[in-house]
Amino acid sequence: MKALIIDDEDLARAVVREHLLAHPDVEVAAECANGFEALKAAALHQPDLIFLDIQMPKLDGFEVLELLEAEGKRPAVVFVTAYDQHALRAFEAHAVDYLLKPFSKERFDAALDKARALQAARPVVAPTAAAELASTARQGKPLERIVVKDGPKVTVVHLDRLDWVQAQDDYVLLRTEAKNLLKQQTLASLETQLDPNRFIRIHRSYLLNLDRLVRVEQDSKEHRDAILRDGTRLPVSRAGYQRLRELWEGA
Amino acid sequence: MHPLLASRARLGTYLLGWVPIALMLTGLARSLGWSWREGAALALPLCLLAALLYLSAWFLCRALPLGRSVEGLSTHAMAWGTAALLMGGLWSGLAWLLARMLAFLPGLDALPQRVGAGLPVLTGLGILLYLAAVAFSYLLLALDRALVAERKGAELQLLAQESELKALRAQLNPHFLFNSLNSLSALTAVDPARAREMCVLLADFLRRSLGLGERRLVPLREELDLARAYLAIEQIRFGTRLQVDWQIDPAAEPALLPTLLLQPLVENAIKHGIAALPEGGTLCVAAEVLEGHVLLRVENPRDEDAPCPQGLGLGLNQVRQRLLGRFGSRARFEALATETRHRITLVFPLEVEP
Repeated sequence: MKALIIDDEDLARAVVREHLLAHPDVEVAAECANGFEALKAAALHQPDLIFLDIQMPKLDGFEVLELLEAEGKRPAVVFVTAYDQHALRAFEAHAVDYLLKPFSKERFDAALDKARALQAARPVVAPTAAAELASTARQGKPLERIVVKDGPKVTVVHLDRLDWVQAQDDYVLLRTEAKNLLKQQTLASLETQLDPNRFIRIHRSYLLNLDRLVRVEQDSKEHRDAILRDGTRLPVSRAGYQRLRELWEGA
Repeated sequence: MHPLLASRARLGTYLLGWVPIALMLTGLARSLGWSWREGAALALPLCLLAALLYLSAWFLCRALPLGRSVEGLSTHAMAWGTAALLMGGLWSGLAWLLARMLAFLPGLDALPQRVGAGLPVLTGLGILLYLAAVAFSYLLLALDRALVAERKGAELQLLAQESELKALRAQLNPHFLFNSLNSLSALTAVDPARAREMCVLLADFLRRSLGLGERRLVPLREELDLARAYLAIEQIRFGTRLQVDWQIDPAAEPALLPTLLLQPLVENAIKHGIAALPEGGTLCVAAEVLEGHVLLRVENPRDEDAPCPQGLGLGLNQVRQRLLGRFGSRARFEALATETRHRITLVFPLEVEP
């Protein structure tokens, strides 16, 4: 089994490495100090198993997992973290194991056994999507940023730099800082991850950052447009207009 | 809103208070040769009307609050006198009207004459009663103020205790503890000597932060010692990613400040600064004395890809509140975020232990 150890702290990686010495069937293909290194190493080594920290600079553990998934890679995952244990307990239901720092040899071995079993059962049990795991761990709190894989490049879009999102079949087009980015996700699933008071579904195909809205213009009896700060016009459906009004009246 | 009108029970009690006045009035009328019947027939409705009318005294009193000095008392007295004369006139006018109306009832036909004869006495009574109502209203207002002040005081104290408690709870940051223990777990195998060093640092940090939590004010020196212990542990955890630059003017060290004010700043600089940067960086802690004030500064590099923080987080807000709560307008809290750096500056008067 080929494994990656992904953690921004040298000593934290050293513990995992040390515990793995007792398992000669697992080969440490690479150690990565951040998410970008992890993505490169995963492309190079095609690991079967990753030990993944959650809080890391630039890309967090969930974002790394999501980007691996976008490339069709589904290694067995063991989260190794000092993250809130209540949030992680829910992971057990998602066929993923986690180690709370610091951990014992017994607990480490048990996690490894579980990972081996999962790997063997791979075709039967589909692991839960990374986005879903992340939202479980956030415990209902909305997303703060979105990661997009654009060819070999990874872009992190912070939500206050996101203007609007357009549905394009199985993709969403993200409009940020006068650029368009495509991400494989449905608009409906993205909508559930965002703060509903900040991003409004103004139309079947559009989610709008409320901060960008200047006014709504009525063109004809049935047709309204949202005018944005940069002058862009986006269509507003009747249901979308209703949602905007509820928000204004509630405010 | 008049406090007596705020609830039915209060209004009822107030009206009951007028019953003895009505009885006294009846007795007085009797002594002037009226019949019991005549006295009661006039006194009861008159007192009911007056009770309602004299509620107005409270509004007058609220508009003319009593100061601490005698100054302005003469203008107040003029207002009270004028109002009392008016009300006395109104009261006797009402008595006269009531007498005319009641005269139609059997046995009360002499009432208008009796009232006419007793008008000066009635007016005088009306004036006296109004002045009593003024005194009573000032009493009510003073009571109200005392109640409000008491409640506010209790609220403020609660708020202060709460924020202090929160600050302490935030102190034993579980993430920091668990990550440190994990580093320790790694070191036991690879570098036992350093593991022991970390144990000692961790114990030192815990002992200091527990000890500090019991006091309200501490010299900056102790806050700096705590930060040193904390950062020494974080330096083991982050390795070369964390450098610390200390620029401490010894003159600032004895300055008193609220407990655990520096620690959240340093933790924040690690969490949102160093930990978010793959290459890490240098954290700067500086203290200097300038014109009788201490300038305490914590500065760290930040990830330029992350959006600038909007407003202060909970932790920094608490630091700000506690600083201003202690020193008021003599202190200042400044937060500055640029693309690549984040800086918090506390400015407060240099006060030392006597």
